[in-house]
Amino acid sequence: MSSATFAVLGLYTDAHKIVDAANQIRPRKLGRLEAYTPYPVHGLDRAIGLAPSGLGRLVMLMGVIGAGLALLFEGWVSAVDYPLVTGGKALFSWQAFVPVMFEVTVLFATFTAGLAMLFAFNKLPFFGHPVLHSRAIKGITRDKLALSIEATSEAFDAEAARRALLDNGAESVEIVPVPAWDRPLSLVGLLRTIAAIVAACAVAGGGLFAAEKLMPIVPPMIHMHEQPKLNAFQESAFFADGRGMRPAVAGTVARGHLPPAFATPEEAGTLLSNPLPLTQPIAERGHKVFGDHCAICHGLVGDGVPLLSRAYGGKPGNFLSNEIRARPDGHYFGVLMLGKNAMPSYAADLDQDDRWAVVHYIRILQRAQNAKDEDLR
Amino acid sequence: MKVATASLPEALRPMELLQGPVTPGSLDDQVLQFPAQRPPRAWYVALAVTLTALGIGVACMGWTLYWGIGTWGNNRPVAWGFGIINFVFWVGIGHAGTLISAILFILRARWRNAIARFAEAMTIFAVICAAIFPVLHTGRPWFAYWLFPYPNERALWVNFRSPLIWDVFAVSTYFSVSLIYWYLGLVPDFASLRDRTAEGWRKRIYTVLSLGWRGAASHWVHYDKAYLLLAGLATGLVISVHSVVSFDFAVSLVPGWHMTIFPPYFVAGAIFAGFAMVVMVLTVVRKTMNLANLITDNHLDVMNKLILAMSCIMGYAYVMEGGTAWYSANPYIQHTFMNYVSGFYGWAGITTITCNIIIPQIFWFRRMRRSIPAMIFVALAVTLGMWMERFVIIVISLHQDYLPSAWHKYIPTKIDFGILLGSFGLFFTLVLLFARVLPVIATSEMKTSLPSRSEGQS
Amino acid sequence: MSATSPRSSLVRNLLVGLTLIGAAGTAGAYFSASRERFWVNWLLWTLFLLTLGLGNLFLVALERLVGAHWSVPMRRVPERIASLIPLAIVLLLVAFFGVPVIFPWTHPAAAHNPILVAKAAWLNLPFFAIRLAVCAVVWMLFYRFYVRGSLRQDESKDPAFTVRARRLAPAFMVVFFFSVTILAFDWISGLEPEWYSDMFGVYLFAGTFISGIAAMLLGVLSLMRRGRLPEVQTKHVYNLGSLGLAFTVFFAYIGFAQYMLIWYANLPDEVIWFKHRIEGAWQPVALLLPLLHFFIPFFLLIGSVGKKHPAPLRLAALSILLGHFVDLYWLIFPVLGPRPLFGWPELAMACFFLGLGSLQIRRAMGRGADMPVGDPLLAQGLEWQV
Repeated sequence: MSSATFAVLGLYTDAHKIVDAANQIRPRKLGRLEAYTPYPVHGLDRAIGLAPSGLGRLVMLMGVIGAGLALLFEGWVSAVDYPLVTGGKALFSWQAFVPVMFEVTVLFATFTAGLAMLFAFNKLPFFGHPVLHSRAIKGITRDKLALSIEATSEAFDAEAARRALLDNGAESVEIVPVPAWDRPLSLVGLLRTIAAIVAACAVAGGGLFAAEKLMPIVPPMIHMHEQPKLNAFQESAFFADGRGMRPAVAGTVARGHLPPAFATPEEAGTLLSNPLPLTQPIAERGHKVFGDHCAICHGLVGDGVPLLSRAYGGKPGNFLSNEIRARPDGHYFGVLMLGKNAMPSYAADLDQDDRWAVVHYIRILQRAQNAKDEDLR
Repeated sequence: MKVATASLPEALRPMELLQGPVTPGSLDDQVLQFPAQRPPRAWYVALAVTLTALGIGVACMGWTLYWGIGTWGNNRPVAWGFGIINFVFWVGIGHAGTLISAILFILRARWRNAIARFAEAMTIFAVICAAIFPVLHTGRPWFAYWLFPYPNERALWVNFRSPLIWDVFAVSTYFSVSLIYWYLGLVPDFASLRDRTAEGWRKRIYTVLSLGWRGAASHWVHYDKAYLLLAGLATGLVISVHSVVSFDFAVSLVPGWHMTIFPPYFVAGAIFAGFAMVVMVLTVVRKTMNLANLITDNHLDVMNKLILAMSCIMGYAYVMEGGTAWYSANPYIQHTFMNYVSGFYGWAGITTITCNIIIPQIFWFRRMRRSIPAMIFVALAVTLGMWMERFVIIVISLHQDYLPSAWHKYIPTKIDFGILLGSFGLFFTLVLLFARVLPVIATSEMKTSLPSRSEGQS
Repeated sequence: MSATSPRSSLVRNLLVGLTLIGAAGTAGAYFSASRERFWVNWLLWTLFLLTLGLGNLFLVALERLVGAHWSVPMRRVPERIASLIPLAIVLLLVAFFGVPVIFPWTHPAAAHNPILVAKAAWLNLPFFAIRLAVCAVVWMLFYRFYVRGSLRQDESKDPAFTVRARRLAPAFMVVFFFSVTILAFDWISGLEPEWYSDMFGVYLFAGTFISGIAAMLLGVLSLMRRGRLPEVQTKHVYNLGSLGLAFTVFFAYIGFAQYMLIWYANLPDEVIWFKHRIEGAWQPVALLLPLLHFFIPFFLLIGSVGKKHPAPLRLAALSILLGHFVDLYWLIFPVLGPRPLFGWPELAMACFFLGLGSLQIRRAMGRGADMPVGDPLLAQGLEWQV
């Protein structure tokens, strides 16, 4: 049983006729005017009293917001959170931020235009509208233009509306009832929808989790870990002895590691002299080397008092003693290269410049610890 | 209301956009019949061919995924090979679709109504084909999500100063916007399909996809505004996306790449290549689907004029590039430009110029613009020429740049060719599926420009 | 409003007075200010008037090329503004005498600069003169064809001219693009001849086009306000405003692309040109340029409201024209030094050239009807619907 009337539809084929009819009918205030057409008819929106769309302003606003957000985000990322100088450019390199800013502006604006138009302005999707279940809908999406006078209250006069439409050129009229089955959202349907969404999330999440766990151990993802190249201490079938790491070629010496030309430190003392000039950088280098390698045993000022614990039983040389002070630079070099008693050779630890620099530094220490008054002036 | 145009000389009369009588009802019947019926055998044969090509491509992609980019021809110094050539090529093809549907809409060119839907679909398919390549060429595409800035445990962000990241944003924005634009245009057509179809699973799908559209004037107001805004925004995208793609090259120091004219030059080239593809596909579609009364000879004529115009713009760009290369007095740039037309890959440069500049000039003649064989020939030449142009720019510039000790040739592998073939297979498979399942002409847009019944035919 | 009304006579006399004062000042500037400064000012104004004229001629030809109807009722305005072309060509020919003064490649030191020696096949006075002559001739030929032909059509009402005009439009486009490129390279980038940018021709074209639209807008609005275009409606001007918005964005895009690419690669031989123009005392001018040429017109024209009313349209057009002038100033004046110069020579020559240009346009306003009444497409243009 059809209860109330939702609307009275008048069907037209000609665009001019429907616009004229709307203009005629609108002042009579028979109900809320609407039209249903397969394409937008020029002038019809004004004829039925529709205001222009406010979508433009919303889109503009969202576009500006997008631009601002993009610029701020890019700036924060590149200049504040993870500042990295790339290509010698300034941290807030706005010139480079413009392209992404532009794209995000367009993205915000278009999503607003499309989605706001559908969801907010037109309230679609909506499948329960009475006209969708009328007889006229087949013609409406094909080639018929329908002018609709819709009931806004109990006092709606369907007969007057029907007559008005026929008088103004409608080819046929249909009365669309309010659907009897206008059911509200059912609990079962709602639960089913929620269950479906939860299930979809579970599947997606589970799949991602499995993929994450699986990914590192399944080829081709592990190909970057298991590369054909040779790593340190890896075995190799290529070489007869199965070793990947090869010893140095017999009879060769690495640069900077030629065996010394002296057998004892005394001989070194007679043969060698310090080739480095005593400059500030070299003194500082000697200072560093001494601190890294020598001070632990010989003490910070070279006085032979070790920084090691008292349990250490050895007696490192005291550079400040007269005996050691008297020895030439080459002697120090020789001890360093050959080692002496408990002290091992430091030839492998220090390169040539380091060795002579530390010799300079020892001399500096000796002078500093035996300073005369003239030195302080 | 319309002034008599019969008194005008023929050259000034408005273009006839329809052949024969067309009403909204007959339009629906003609266009919307296809989703409801079985396609002819030729469709299945064509699909078999495209699926074969796609299959070869998928196999090659799988091979690449498993064994890595070493299966491609990329190597020092040509680190960008077919991967990027194909990416730029396909993104370019997509641009014609957006130009037709968005820019021509803004310009109120009525002739675009009959071809806009197909062109937009081609945009989306072309962008899908394009997107495969940057993802695949990363080597570890399962980490492709690293390209997007999301908070992560490694405290890393993407480098917003890199044009490759600009590409990520540009192409993904382009894809989503094109999809929204295309879908919004389809909503009224889904409503038509919904109301034509008898009850069943098809009708239910159309019902959902049409979102309950009922053609309400209060909805059309917002819809029209959204469509206009989207068209304007998509116009900006067309220019910006391919400009951003051109920035991949132009911000670098590689000789031949760092030319300031690259952004508009690439956009013009994209539109050029895209139009050739549109013309090629539409000449076949209008024949096989009997749509020649809607996609008329006049439509093809106008599109060919646009192809000619783009060819002239490309000619200007080539002259400017070569001329500025000489004017720069920079020996590296000059060497590169000489290499474009002579040297090991000189044949590619000659092919490019011939296909892009010389062959389309036949479109100065009206007979050629309206001859199907001629336009298919030109379209094929332009497609080849534009692909070759990207080859020239990328490979020739990279294989001999500043340091002669780094010079080396680039030889593409079978896998490279296989993936290229596969991308064409994917594109045409999607086109065939689209023609089978969705309305290939935007009937609701066409109806706005049909003569109303009281006037008869104009 | 007839051309001999007391108000229009007053305007004419004021303009003539302005021009004469300006002429005197210009002569003074020639003898007292440096020759470089004189010729740079001459070049600036010549290019300003020439690009305005060319931009409007381009609009006329563009309408023919695409077969647009909506702009036909307004087309007489750009045809009249294009009358700046013959004036500007004369001024450009005079400017040729300044070339050896301001262009470094003409100076003897250039023979010792290997870069300029390499470019000598292009940058030499005889070839320069030939290019100038060819461009001048083709511009004049097309100007006469399109403008005189349209004026003649007022009387003859012969549609054959419209057909011919449409057929010739593609040739015009080819010639136009190359000649504007030559103008840009020869007369502007040639001031710093070691610099190169292949976008520069497009850049000048973009500025020419948008300032042509702006001038056309101002002309149309001014005629409408005086009631001389009663049949032109809001919808026509709205469309012109939309075109203006689109090409405002286009100019910004071209300008930004050129700047950003050179900034990014940071090559010394390219960056130097920008360094001269955006650092130090030139920075305020460099900031003013995007403000006038993009931000103000963009935000004025982006909403539909801005394009429906004369006030925002006029403001946007004025901003664009001022921006175009600032653009040319910013392109050319740095050759004089690191500080932007603006003193009495600039003011005097501004009066002179503005006066000349205004008088030339005023003269053109008297020719022909205010709408191209002989054009067979006029009726369709008037009732054109969106």
